[in-house]
Amino acid sequence: MSRLIASDIVTGYGKQEIVHGVSLTADSGEITCIFGPNGCGKSTLLKAIAGALPAWRGEVRIDERALSNLPAHMIVRHGLVMMPQGGGVFPRLTVLENLRMGGYAVVDGRLVEQRIETLLEEYPSLKRRTTVAAGSLSGGEQMMLALARALVSEPRFILLDEPSAGLSPALVSQTLERVQALTRHGIGIVMVEQNIREALPMADRLYILAAGETRFEGTPQDVRDDAQLMEIYMGQDSASATDALS
Amino acid sequence: MDLLLQTLLNGILIGGIIASFSIGFQLTFGVLHVIDFAVGAWVVLGGYLAYWMSTLLGVGGFVSLPVAFVVFGAIGYLIGPVIYRVRNSRYARPELMALALTFGLFTLLRGGALTLWGFNTRSVPTALSGESLMIGSVTVPLLRVVAFAFACAVAAALFLILYRTRYGLAIRATAENRHNAGLMGVDVQRLSANVYGLYAAVTGMAGVLMAAIYSVNPEIGLRYTLFAFFVAVLAGLGSVGGAILAALLFGIMESVVATYVGSSYSHLAIFATLYLVLLVSPRGILQRGL
Repeated sequence: MSRLIASDIVTGYGKQEIVHGVSLTADSGEITCIFGPNGCGKSTLLKAIAGALPAWRGEVRIDERALSNLPAHMIVRHGLVMMPQGGGVFPRLTVLENLRMGGYAVVDGRLVEQRIETLLEEYPSLKRRTTVAAGSLSGGEQMMLALARALVSEPRFILLDEPSAGLSPALVSQTLERVQALTRHGIGIVMVEQNIREALPMADRLYILAAGETRFEGTPQDVRDDAQLMEIYMGQDSASATDALS
Repeated sequence: MDLLLQTLLNGILIGGIIASFSIGFQLTFGVLHVIDFAVGAWVVLGGYLAYWMSTLLGVGGFVSLPVAFVVFGAIGYLIGPVIYRVRNSRYARPELMALALTFGLFTLLRGGALTLWGFNTRSVPTALSGESLMIGSVTVPLLRVVAFAFACAVAAALFLILYRTRYGLAIRATAENRHNAGLMGVDVQRLSANVYGLYAAVTGMAGVLMAAIYSVNPEIGLRYTLFAFFVAVLAGLGSVGGAILAALLFGIMESVVATYVGSSYSHLAIFATLYLVLLVSPRGILQRGL
């Protein structure tokens, strides 16, 4: 049982402050969702937690281990992996090479090969195409590859930036099911999603950001009880989100 | 017919050496996203290293090769992070600033070489200088053959690193997307420094060979920068496989133009070709990257 705690994160691009002191807690084996309108700083927050963007202020910890201000490549070594929007596979590398990159932070190369072999059993569509350039896979397959790749380093927490973006409705459910399956291995998921309808029922804990600040923090149950909140922050999607919950 | 064979052979032999440092030039572009104008300066300084080693210590050119590797590797390893910092700074137009930095470096090194060593052209003696084999009526200059073989070995070693090691995989991943490579656990800054060091080391060695085959003077660096740039554009910026092909083509073309038209036209031919390639296939002859 691990806990990821980000407290009072302030960050932005250049001189532009985008996230104004957001705190977040996520537990292993659970799905923590971050919702909010476009441009509210969701992705920026994820990047700051993963070290891809320096946090100007605030602290990130997994249990007692402080990760704040470590560069991204060190944070991976502490069990926190981020999947950027679109999956972030390397299109010109093969599927197998992409998976190997997922294990780059693991010192023992043979261990990486073993893990990849085990993972490929769970992802048969990838197993058939290990020598194919990742760029020639379909969007859904690339997302599968990105998820599989995130697992090679056996992380405790995975940050997902809009895993459903750009996928067809059928693939959205399939991808989110995969994500949910990860929690059964005890991995904690922190997920930014636009597709509230699909993601809300999966969430164990959720945060709603607006204009770089936390506007709501709680469980899906709390949201359902607060019709006004649904209306304001979920916009047009609120009705369907309520449906999904009831 | 013999003249044509001779011309082609000379072109290929020189093209091989150009290929050896063009690969590094491409890698540097892929990883650091900088067109390294200083490439010609490393070639020239490699030549001067060999010249001074032969003058002061009396050793032949080949002995300088490992020394050049170590010396320029170290210099590149130290300069790499500086280029990385400038290229990734938060100030305006970092890509332009990085370009200005390598151009400034080139100017500084060229000026330094001029001040220190003057305009004189220096040559580097080797055990094989002047030796040649006759195959039919074609003269095969041994020094060029050995230099070519050496350059091929270097290119092969780079390919082995790139395609057969975990570190090479990380280099290729970084060349595709630095940010995502960082998220996978690659220390992009250190990797960039290592790649620049490796590239400077290889380029310094190519400089030793070039000085041994031709000669070296401070002004000749610009030529080599142009060569590398030409090869890179012909190959498609960042393409390693294309660089070898393009360098060989370049060597042959220069040799053919110099023999049949006149060496003063070779630059004209180079730029005319470059223009045509950019017009027809702006992404280079192979149409793909690394």
